Amino acid sequence: MSDKFVRAIRIDEIAPGGMKTVEIDGREIVICNSGGAYYAVQRRCGHMNAALELGTLDGQYLTCGMHCAQFDIVTGQALSGPVPADLGNESPPPKLAEFLQHAGMQMKHVRTESIRTYETKLEAGWVLVAP
Amino acid sequence: MDAESRKKALHYFFDKVVDPLGFKFTPDVELMDFLLEQEVMLEGKHGIPFCPCQPLRHDRARDMQIVCPCIPFHRKHFDAIRRCWCGLFVHKDVIDPDSLPQLSPKDVGLE
Repeated sequence: MSDKFVRAIRIDEIAPGGMKTVEIDGREIVICNSGGAYYAVQRRCGHMNAALELGTLDGQYLTCGMHCAQFDIVTGQALSGPVPADLGNESPPPKLAEFLQHAGMQMKHVRTESIRTYETKLEAGWVLVAP
Repeated sequence: MDAESRKKALHYFFDKVVDPLGFKFTPDVELMDFLLEQEVMLEGKHGIPFCPCQPLRHDRARDMQIVCPCIPFHRKHFDAIRRCWCGLFVHKDVIDPDSLPQLSPKDVGLE
């Protein structure tokens, strides 16, 4: 166990199923309340760096709000990549189509990586994190 | 990505969807495991866990109707056969899933 635990947030600052971002030692960390158990993960999505606290937490599963990549907050494992978007049946305007083609080509090479987790513990009404 | 972890996550999410619909995972654990594994593979390929027992038609509107759990899109049919098409889900009162044949909508008078 790391002895570098620091106070991150008060326990009552996040309801079960909620998430909150803190910055500790220059690291952006999301504290997750999973049914009264607290976990800490890196803020940036392992897919395209979106802010994970803007996603949803269900049990131990965090879904990124940007492309719906999913992660296990206990292990940090990436569980699934982005969900394909529905672009509808109509063709986009030529300029947008060109951009989408370019973005699609780049995104084909993007991998969804697992996210970093941090140790947590509870003490005197606080969630402590070892950054 | 680890298939076992993903299977566990799909189980967690699917259970929440099918339970209010009166369905549960098949008691045949081996079949459940096999079907979930196929879905993880399909999700890895297409980004979506489609039903492993129905063909993709590459028509989004139709393909969305076979995203697991697809029970709401085939409710009458699955209620009639007391299971979903591939057998991953069965009615909550089913204890012997092998006793439920895979009957088509036509077989049960729905077409």
